Formats: sequence, structure tokens, C-alpha cells
Amino acid sequence: MTIAPKAPRKLTMKQRYEALTRDLDWEPSYVDRSDVFPHTEFEGIKIHDWSKWEDPFRLTVDSYTKYQAEKDKRLYAVLDGFAQSQGHLSLTEASYLNAMKLFLQGVTPLEYQAHRNFAYLARHLDGPGPRFAALCQSIDEMRHTQTEIHTLSNYNKYYGGFHNYLEQHDRVWYLSVPKSFFDDALSAGPFEFLIAIGFSFEYLLTNLLFVPFMSGASFNGDLPTMTFGFSAQSDESRHMTLGLEAIKFLLEQDEANVPIVQAWIDKWFWRGYRVTALVAQMLDYMLPRKVMSWKEAFELYFEEQMLGGLFQDLAFYGIRPPMHVDDAIAEKEILSHQVYWTLYQFSHAAAFTTTVPDADAQKWLSENYTETFDQLYKPLWDKEAKNIEAGGRHFARGLPQLCQVCQVPMLFTEPGDPTTLCQRESVYNGEKFQTCSDGCQWIFEREPEKYVQAWLPVHQIYQGNCGGPTVPDVLTWYGIQDGDGGEYKGSVDDRNWQKWHDAADHSNIGSEG
Amino acid sequence: MAVKSIGTYDFPSRSRQELYGDDQLVHLWFQGNMWFCAAACFRAPKAMTWGDFWNGLVVPYAEEDPDFDPAAQRVWTLHGEQFTPRDDQTLEEIGVEHKDVIGMRVVA
Repeated sequence: MTIAPKAPRKLTMKQRYEALTRDLDWEPSYVDRSDVFPHTEFEGIKIHDWSKWEDPFRLTVDSYTKYQAEKDKRLYAVLDGFAQSQGHLSLTEASYLNAMKLFLQGVTPLEYQAHRNFAYLARHLDGPGPRFAALCQSIDEMRHTQTEIHTLSNYNKYYGGFHNYLEQHDRVWYLSVPKSFFDDALSAGPFEFLIAIGFSFEYLLTNLLFVPFMSGASFNGDLPTMTFGFSAQSDESRHMTLGLEAIKFLLEQDEANVPIVQAWIDKWFWRGYRVTALVAQMLDYMLPRKVMSWKEAFELYFEEQMLGGLFQDLAFYGIRPPMHVDDAIAEKEILSHQVYWTLYQFSHAAAFTTTVPDADAQKWLSENYTETFDQLYKPLWDKEAKNIEAGGRHFARGLPQLCQVCQVPMLFTEPGDPTTLCQRESVYNGEKFQTCSDGCQWIFEREPEKYVQAWLPVHQIYQGNCGGPTVPDVLTWYGIQDGDGGEYKGSVDDRNWQKWHDAADHSNIGSEG
Repeated sequence: MAVKSIGTYDFPSRSRQELYGDDQLVHLWFQGNMWFCAAACFRAPKAMTWGDFWNGLVVPYAEEDPDFDPAAQRVWTLHGEQFTPRDDQTLEEIGVEHKDVIGMRVVA
């Protein structure tokens, strides 16, 4: 006699999630737990009960892949349509793409590094809930890397600066800013990485680091990037939730975790904030059609939402706002101007172009920075305008001093004195190390043995490790070609743009020469 | 506070003086002049004279500022103290060490 098998009991979504994630975990019986998870104790973080981890989202791998595949389909349909209809011609101006060059060179490789490190967390965290969350984020980050590359690859057919972003990320001076930031996180322990990237980067600063590029795209006719942004948005909100859960979980598990987490927030706020220097100038100077000023973005997304919201909640756990946050607030009126003036002088060695802001742009800057632009920065542009009339758009003829920690040229000024450069010096093992601010100096002195290893592009050039002693040698080693960098007006991109828009006959669109 | 790590954590500086042989890195800070967005960084032999440093490295760099006047009267600082360089003194004799920042301000 045969007995008909019982119909499988249908699990609820929650049960199914539990079965496919946490229930796959087991206690090791013939090896020590600390041998299976060797990296979760050395940072001093104490976890007593991983089951208290509240999964911020309940996705299983099959529902995850189904959902992501649908989003990909929609994105790739937009990319195809944009490419076939020569959509690049409906951008506000070719110079807009400087923002996207910076994004592809500076941000996309970070997505890949995030993929790597979340994969590491998916292996090494010793709780099944966060391991699975890290696995999903790891796959997300890989997908973002790929979709960003695909989204921007269409522009590579027509415009300079897109063709060698990966190698440039590892080599070029301004890209050492985001690269060294992420390398710092990658070489930290798993919990510090969670606070550095999961919390500080994905939650605290995401609206100042990632979102401005997507907003810039939507204001400047870049439909593919905007669609990518939407496609990433639901992932990003999951990442933000994970970052927030991570910090709350660590703080709730043991009081001894509070000072450790606080120090990481202090460090990673400033590290991330210094990377936003590149975003600040992008918002205020690179976008032909402006979204909002850096100052406005900083006030809304950081001062109101984070200091006014998040940190009020975190106070319950004994967490205070990041150290040096007042210096960041004080810089909001001057940051973008100082950074763009620097990039303007050094863009002959960059894979994007710069130009003097035109009358409309200067008017906008003056209206948005009533306390500083006319007083401090307009005189520089006026002087440069005379320079140009006299036949010489200028570029720096040498190399700048770099900050040992953030690796930005030492362009920042003393708190309260926007005309005096900020110079900080520390001595470690008899060697002098300069930093750009109290924030970077504090970070250096907290872990000097880490930062003495910094691969500072200027020092590396002088050591002969970057292709040779002359500017052309270094540019060749960077993989920067004619038309990638320098002045925008009269550049290959500018000339092509004019030609493609002036020509009555559009049959030659996309052709060179 | 030291780095918390899973093993011994001891690595040499990537900018230490010996990597530059007989040379060293010298920073020049154009104080009170916003045209120069940051201090300049030069590689210069320790035995280079001030005259060669000034004429061979600093002046060509600084001439990018249309208002630069090599003959202007300047105040120099090193290690927080004022000094007056002579053209025949070497950087080493002046006391310039690897990665020092020399301050330079034009007297109005």
C-alpha cells in the first residue's frame, strides 16, 4: 500500500525567509567557533546575542534575483533607446559629462570595492542575519558596478575622459582621494567597515556623496544615469537600513561598544566629508544646469536630516554628533570654490575638463554664496579672465602639497579665516607628516602607523614611480589622452558638440574630426 | 592609540627621506596669496643652494601668477621662526629638512 505524500505545507513569507537564511546557520561542533570566525574579536566589539539582530529587510535569493532582473530589464531598455536615438545630443551641454567622468572614475570603482568587502562580511560576521544582509548588499554592489559602467559606456563613443577609468582610479592624483578613503575602510576590521561604509557612507553621507550625481543627471538630460539612479534607489534604501541597524545593534549589545563606535563615527564622518569636496565643486561648478548649491545640500541633507534627526535618536545610546562637525559646517560657504579653483589649475593632468564659470554661472554663485563668492573668489576669476585675454589660460606648473590622510591638495583654510591655508604637522618616528585640517590630523595621530603608508601621488611621482619625471610621462602613465583633460573651451568635446549641433545635416553625428 | 589589527602591524613610511636619495621634498607656502591654491611641493637636493632653489624651481613655478614679482621683499619662515636666506647657502645649511614647509610672504 502506498501512502500519498502529504502536500508540502505552505510557509508564510516570514517562515520561508527564516528557513532559507537563519535556519541554514549551525553551531560548529568539531572546530572552535573562533577558528571559523577569526576576525570578529580583535576590534574590541562585544556581541552577546546575534539573534537580537533585526533583519532590516526580508528577501530570499530567489525573490531578490527576480526583482533585480526586472529592474535591469527596464534600465537596459532605456539605455538602448537612448543610444539608438542619439540621446547624448539632448544633454544640456557636453561639459555636463565632466560630472559623469568624475563619477565613473571616482565612484564606480568604489562600488566594486564595496562588493568585495561585503562579500568578506558575508563570510566573516558570526551572526547569520547580518551575514545574509551583507551577501545581498555584496551582490547589489556588483550589480551597481556593472550597470554604472553600462550606463556610461555609451558616452565613451563620443566623449573624452571615459576610456580608462579603472586604471586611472588606481593612479591619478585626484582619484587617490576616493580610492584611499575606501582602502582605509577595506583594511579595517569588519565592524569598523560596517560603521565606515554601512553607516557613515551609505547612511550619514549618501545624500551628499551619491545622490547629487543622480540629481545632476536628471537636471541635465542624462536619462540613462537618472534611470540607473532610480534602479539603485531601492537597493540604496536597503543599504541605509542595514547601516542604521548595524549601528543600533552594536550600541545595544554592550555599553563598552559605545566609545569604540563613537570614535569610528568621528573618524569616518571626517573621512567621508573630505571625499564630498569633489562632489561640492561638481554641484556648484560642473553642472550646466544647477540642482542646488552645495551649501543648500549640506544644510538640508546633513544639518537638518542628520544632525537635527539621526543624531537626536542616537543620543539615546550615548552617541554625540561627530567630532569636527563644526569645521565642516563652517566650510559650507567656501568649500566648493576652493576645490574647483584647484581642479581648474590642475585639470591639464585630469581626465575631465574645467573652464572659467561664465557670467550666468558667476551670477548664480554670487546669489547662492552671498557672503563669500564676490568677496573672495570672483577676484580670482576676474584675474584669470585678464590672463586669458592676454593669451594665457593658466595651469599650475608643478605639484601641490597633499594631505597625508585625505590626499586632497592642501587647499583648505583655517577655521574662521578663508584666506589662510590650514597647515597641520605631526611627527611620527622622526618623520614629518602634514595634514589639511584638525580632522585629518586627529585621524593621522590616532593611527599613524596606518597613514604613513599612504600612496601619495605627488610623492610617488617624485620617487619616479609614475612613468617618468615630466608631465607628459605621467599623463601617459595615467592613460590620459588628448581631449580628456585641460580647458573645456575649444576642447575636442566642445568642438564636436558645436559641430553636431550647428550642422544642418546631422548625418555625421558621432563622427570625429 | 595604535591600530587594532590581527597581527603585527609595522610598515615603513612610503614617503621616507631615504627613498629620495640625496634629495628631499620641500614645500613652499605662498602665504597671503590665494592664486596658489595650495603650497607647492618640490624635490630638491639637500646640497642645492638657495639661489638655485629660488631661480631654478620656485620662480618658474610662481611665474604662473601674473602678479608675481621675484624681486619683491619677502618674509621667510621655517619651523615657526623667521629666517633670511642667502643665495649661496644650501638648503641643508639653512636647516630645511625632508618635507618641511617654508613660509613665504610678500611684505606689503
